[in-house]
Amino acid sequence: MAAPSIWRSKRFRGAAIQAGFVAVLVALIIGATLTARANLSAQGLTSGFGFLWKSTGWEINFTLMETTTTDPYWWYLLMGLLNTLFMGVIGLAGASILGLIVGLMRSGRNPAARLLGTIYIELFRNLPLILQLFFWYALANALPNPRNSLAFAGALLNARGIYLPGLVIGRGTVALAVLAILVSAALAVWILASRRFRQIEPTRQRRLALCSTAAGLALAALAVVLGHDPSQPWITMPKLAGLKIDGGFRIQPEFYALAIAIMTYGAAYVGEIVRGGFKAVGRGQMEAANALGLSPWQVFSRVRFPLAFRAMLPILINQYVWLIKATTLGIAVGFSDFFMVIASSITHSGQTLEFIAILMGGFLLINFSLAAVLNRLNRAIALKGHQTTGAT
Amino acid sequence: MDLTAPAIELTDLDKFYGTFHALKGISLTVAKGEKVVVCGPSGSGKSTMIRCINQLEEHDGGTIRVFGTTLDDNVGLIDEIRREVGMVFQQFNLFPHMTVLENCTLAPMLVRKTSRADAEATAMRYLEKVRIPDQAQKYPGQLSGGQQQRVAIARALCMQPEILLFDEPTSALDPEMIAEVLDVMVTLAQEGMTMICVTHEMGFARKVADRVVFMDKGEIIEEAPPEDFFGNPKSDRTRLFLSQVLGH
Amino acid sequence: MTAPAGSARLRRLRKAYFGSPLSALMTLLSAAILGFILWKLLDWGLIHATFDASGTQETCAAKGGACWSVIATRWRVILFGIYPYEEQWRPALACLVVAGVIVLSCLPRMWSFGKLALTWTIGTIVFYTLMRGGILGLASVNEQQWGGLPLTLFVFVATGIIGMPLAIGLALLRRSDYPVIARVSGWIIDTIRSLPLLSILFTCAIVLPFMLPGFLIGEKLYRVVFGAALFFAAYQAEIIRGGFQGIPKGQEEAAKALGLSYWQRMGRIVLPQAFRLALPATINQFVIAFMETSLIVVVGFMELLAAGNTAFKTGEWKFAYAEVYVFIAAIYFAFVFGLSRYGAYLEARMNVGHRKD
Repeated sequence: MAAPSIWRSKRFRGAAIQAGFVAVLVALIIGATLTARANLSAQGLTSGFGFLWKSTGWEINFTLMETTTTDPYWWYLLMGLLNTLFMGVIGLAGASILGLIVGLMRSGRNPAARLLGTIYIELFRNLPLILQLFFWYALANALPNPRNSLAFAGALLNARGIYLPGLVIGRGTVALAVLAILVSAALAVWILASRRFRQIEPTRQRRLALCSTAAGLALAALAVVLGHDPSQPWITMPKLAGLKIDGGFRIQPEFYALAIAIMTYGAAYVGEIVRGGFKAVGRGQMEAANALGLSPWQVFSRVRFPLAFRAMLPILINQYVWLIKATTLGIAVGFSDFFMVIASSITHSGQTLEFIAILMGGFLLINFSLAAVLNRLNRAIALKGHQTTGAT
Repeated sequence: MDLTAPAIELTDLDKFYGTFHALKGISLTVAKGEKVVVCGPSGSGKSTMIRCINQLEEHDGGTIRVFGTTLDDNVGLIDEIRREVGMVFQQFNLFPHMTVLENCTLAPMLVRKTSRADAEATAMRYLEKVRIPDQAQKYPGQLSGGQQQRVAIARALCMQPEILLFDEPTSALDPEMIAEVLDVMVTLAQEGMTMICVTHEMGFARKVADRVVFMDKGEIIEEAPPEDFFGNPKSDRTRLFLSQVLGH
Repeated sequence: MTAPAGSARLRRLRKAYFGSPLSALMTLLSAAILGFILWKLLDWGLIHATFDASGTQETCAAKGGACWSVIATRWRVILFGIYPYEEQWRPALACLVVAGVIVLSCLPRMWSFGKLALTWTIGTIVFYTLMRGGILGLASVNEQQWGGLPLTLFVFVATGIIGMPLAIGLALLRRSDYPVIARVSGWIIDTIRSLPLLSILFTCAIVLPFMLPGFLIGEKLYRVVFGAALFFAAYQAEIIRGGFQGIPKGQEEAAKALGLSYWQRMGRIVLPQAFRLALPATINQFVIAFMETSLIVVVGFMELLAAGNTAFKTGEWKFAYAEVYVFIAAIYFAFVFGLSRYGAYLEARMNVGHRKD
């Protein structure tokens, strides 16, 4: 046998292959960055993040807080991120509620309801989301003009949007109120899920969670009352003034078309996950619960749903991350989500590399933190002594 | 490889799983044509030892010599040794997506570069030897456990190895199927195959073994021809083990 | 006990639909919703609809239903985009070729590397020759003029052809025995998966040209397809990894003990079994990939959806958006529904017994 050359050595080979792999990747990244720098500086652009403090000079069509064209880029990015989160929260909540209904219809015993659920899921899940979005947006734009608005319980509906009766309060107040509610809700979830509260009695635990929610609502109400300008009326009603609508609270077509699209599309997927979760609950568990004499509602709320929820959660996490990413479709109809703000910033400022880095960082942050929170919840409620499975 | 050298020589073999010391300086020599039965309580390191021989587990210390060739860091050596050392597993490990015949011809064709016709002829010969030539076109899932294990033996034989390792070949079988597998193993032993068998089948050990090795807690406690091992065990641990295995 | 079968069946049905007040309410409600939607659709789409090509906004509005005239007059724009009008038999034929290749590769009989590779190579060459032209006396048609259904199919098929080997590569890297390689590939996969596809397409279409040396930039269409393939690969790699996890450890050990090399073990033992286990999820991923081809409209391509938009956004058909979208939706639905039924069939077939056919 020939003397073993160094290349035949397993250990050396391992080290060399791994080093080579990393070196190739690093070389690719450095090469791409250098090429990009050279190309960009040829166009007279300087790299670096200094531009973040320059004012933008262009408008953004949907923001949750006051924004003007003199605001700097970082503020615009923050508003975009907030819009994405806002749309994400509304989309996820809507998709979850609607999806739960559809899923329950699909896993119930009534054949008519099952059929309806099946049709819903097959229809919405098998069409591209962007096609559905275009349809909702076209529908919103095809509504009558403001002069011929459809009126419904004080609200007006026309091609310019939905006009609801609105409270007269500042945006800062709203932010404060929302923050109070969110914090208290998170606190309540923590009280219910954390192991630290396992020792106290369930009734007390529930009462504690209720208290925290109530305190949050009270704080929010207080913020609203204190933030209200006494010289103004409390409520404004939308009214036709000339060719447009004055007063009220306007929801833009871009916003609600995207929200409807994400909710209905997401609900089809969530519905399937819910059905899978209920299917995973063992027949024996249900029989045992029935044999103990629990009422149908008790069987559902104490045995069937909690077990099904544990089976669904790991798959739901992936679906939620997917739906958050779907908010980027806003760019197709002109809703200024994070991605659209980035895309417009690139066209206006030319700081391509920096914005792409921010874009990646933003989505990694959103999705990793969402997954981290939900995984934590998953671990907290997982059945002790069972393996937490990723999928059944 | 030097076919006149001892088939296997283990010297001071050490193996760790994390901090757990699985093999504590094992030394064992097996001559060509010798049949060695390894027994011992579960977790004693028997499987680990024979899995080190064909490097399914990497050893951490000591030397392994197969036909005079020392296993070292060299990648090619491992392939060379695996070609000469066949293995039969507790869980059969037949490839479920291939027919019995394909299971048997795969390695000769890929590793030894045998032509399909030759490989199939060899495979049929060995399938006849393990007495299931009529199952050649079936899939493993359609066979009983005993049949699967016999296919696994045929598959190992098709590589025409110098040494066969058996890792508890009958432990996963229903009692009525153990005999059919042991029969095949006895035939092989009588034909002069070099074999190391990890097994609890003491009847088999008595019948064919040249030597019985008793392991406990990662060490070789006792090593003797079967008549001495069963008739006059020297160590207390051996005696205790034998009383547990043979007691019922 | 000896009640006639008919009445027993009736009783069972009654119990299912009207077993309890709640159930009865749900039955009535569902029936009402279904009936209402069905009636509205029939009324709009058939009874009061206008079908002939001569319909206009006024005549359609007079009849009160759908105005299918828009499809009758503009279907070639929807299906083929701005592909030169006289040459449109070529994309039509190309669509048939792709459909044929897809149907062929769905047949279990074709599932071997060689057969699939041959089918796809021939299919790709025929498709490209038909679409691009420039040889065999066919007039050359630039990629920028491709549009409609053939473009959608091209992006889908190319995503699969490039994405699948990439996915296998990534999955193998992630399960590598070398810790650094496994870790780094894990990061790459997770990062791509947490980015929106749209941002990847955007990066490939607009940003990538800055980052590549000139000779690598190529046509925008191919860059976008590469982005889509990369995204597909990251998801598919995780699906294949799920398949790996379902294979008993002994399989690879047995292959090692027989002396098979790494590539032989992967190619003959591990990957075939992983794909079998991952088949339902893989089909599902293809369904999603097909629907996501429509995203390229955002980076400026005239695929089916965008072509549909242009069909009604020009002047006189502005009112007929619903008709156009229903038409496009029907095309997508037919394809996607077919594919997912096929997936369900495969799953049922595999559950019968884990034999190869």
